[in-house]
Amino acid sequence: MDTLLSGQLLFSALVIGSVYALTGLGLNLVYGTMRLLNIAHGDLAMLGAYLAFWLFSLGQVSPLVAAPLAVIGAAGLGALAYFGLFQRQIERAPAVEKLEANSLLLFLGLSVIVQNVASLAFTASPRAVTYLDSIYRIGGVSMTANRLVILGVSTLICIATALFLRYSVYGLAIKALIQNRSAASVVGVNVGRIQLASMMIGFGLAGLAGALLSMAEQISPFMGFPFTIAAFVVIIMGGLGNLLGGVLAGFLLGFVEIYGVVLTSSNARSIILYGVFVGVLLLRPQGLLGGRRIAR
Amino acid sequence: MTRLSPWPSLALLACAVGIGLPWLIGDYYLTVALNLAMWIALTQSWTILSGMAGYISLGHVVFFGIGAYCVVVTWQALPLFAAIPLAGLVAAVFAAVTGAPVLRVRGPYFVILTFGIAELVKYIVINIEASSGQASRLLFGTPSVKDLYLVMLALAVAATALAWAVRRSRLGSGLIAIREDEEAAQTFGVPVTRFKVYAFVLAAVIPGMAGGTFVLRSTYFETMQVFDPVISFSIVTMAIIGGSDDARGPVLGAGFLVVLSELLWSTLPQLYLIVLGTLLVVFVLFLPGGLVGLLTRHKRMVAR
Repeated sequence: MDTLLSGQLLFSALVIGSVYALTGLGLNLVYGTMRLLNIAHGDLAMLGAYLAFWLFSLGQVSPLVAAPLAVIGAAGLGALAYFGLFQRQIERAPAVEKLEANSLLLFLGLSVIVQNVASLAFTASPRAVTYLDSIYRIGGVSMTANRLVILGVSTLICIATALFLRYSVYGLAIKALIQNRSAASVVGVNVGRIQLASMMIGFGLAGLAGALLSMAEQISPFMGFPFTIAAFVVIIMGGLGNLLGGVLAGFLLGFVEIYGVVLTSSNARSIILYGVFVGVLLLRPQGLLGGRRIAR
Repeated sequence: MTRLSPWPSLALLACAVGIGLPWLIGDYYLTVALNLAMWIALTQSWTILSGMAGYISLGHVVFFGIGAYCVVVTWQALPLFAAIPLAGLVAAVFAAVTGAPVLRVRGPYFVILTFGIAELVKYIVINIEASSGQASRLLFGTPSVKDLYLVMLALAVAATALAWAVRRSRLGSGLIAIREDEEAAQTFGVPVTRFKVYAFVLAAVIPGMAGGTFVLRSTYFETMQVFDPVISFSIVTMAIIGGSDDARGPVLGAGFLVVLSELLWSTLPQLYLIVLGTLLVVFVLFLPGGLVGLLTRHKRMVAR
């Protein structure tokens, strides 16, 4: 019981939860505005992680400097994917269902390509760096600096994105698109530009999550998929376009995972993650669209 | 003028050659033929639900893995002529039990749900095996390649016949109606849920038996290997490349990729998967009907 109440565990749950919230936020934007179910979302985090890893181990560049670069790089890939593949798909799709199915298969293909190119280029063996691993003790809880940074930056970016969506014209346009596509274009939202922006921001957030994570966790070419699954859980539980709900769902998933592992064994981690995922989808079989469509 | 389709006679010829093959070629090529038969069996089975009803499964490996695990668990406790059908039965029961809730989930959510289920079952089996202290199991005294090949060939033929028969049945028409518009199908009296579960069960049986046969061929069992998501991904890619609207599609898709994998897999597995991913993207973008779509389009043009 003591271990369950310890601040240590709470801290771990908050850290992983904030990363889940961040990745979920990105997927939410991409799916919400374009109905593109990006199964390669976690692979962008993997690319961000490798960027930070190589810059640090080859050039001694701090992962904190690499993080904005990862955002820019991933956003660039978002623009590339948008213009190269998905703009045409969105414009030509006869129906939303067809677009969803096709985009899923396209992203599946891209995911396999990216993972295996990474595995060829970087080898499949896991890698890790030690950066900011000095330990702080606050209120009896020891925290490494890198995890504090992960928690702080992820939370800040989540809040900043929420504020951006709430108060800026762009943010409002993104929400309008999530709520009702055709009505948004009628009232003068430049759909094409907003889609591009959403894709770039969504991809960028995933890249950021990866770069942050590389400071504290092992990375490998195949690390992405659990994050994709976590992001799906986050947006299905939180609701489409509901950013606050998504962030809460991210933290909740972090708690379930960390406390679940403590109560059972570390081998159960994947069972818990996929179990929650399967459970959530079985309880909400309509997926996102069946839920209340909040976009406040 | 109506011309008889050459395909039934070609199929018969292929079966005859298939049965004669063990006496014609060596063990290496026989293993390739065994692989080909396995992928045809898996992909044909996949089309029963995912091609006809449009419920794309990205977790078909779960039935394969369950079947393999069944045969391994009952190894030397049950004779194989009972163990392999049992593997199919257990996979079918798993599909029947999970079918109703799983098939309520639609579209892209169904796709990722099937993936999630396959991973979940994989990690559960890994934990069961770990708690019994075994990382992998060796199987001694498995049947010869020739016998296993003949079993796999029978499974491939059975899967092809099953897919062909279902497509022409009331069930098949119902499934296609579900793919086109599920609400409309329901309104017109198609027993939607029942049909989807039937299709799910039918799609599970043969992969279960194929998994059981595969593990005997590889003579060792490792959970990660028989539940590898790459197997699901390959099935989807073969079906998309071949085309899943027709029983010929999976044969073409499987044949194409087995040749490719013989050329690349052993030397550069990553490159093989990169090519697979690229082919998937290209076919989804430019040839949604697959190779069969190309064939029929060509035929239509010739007829004109």
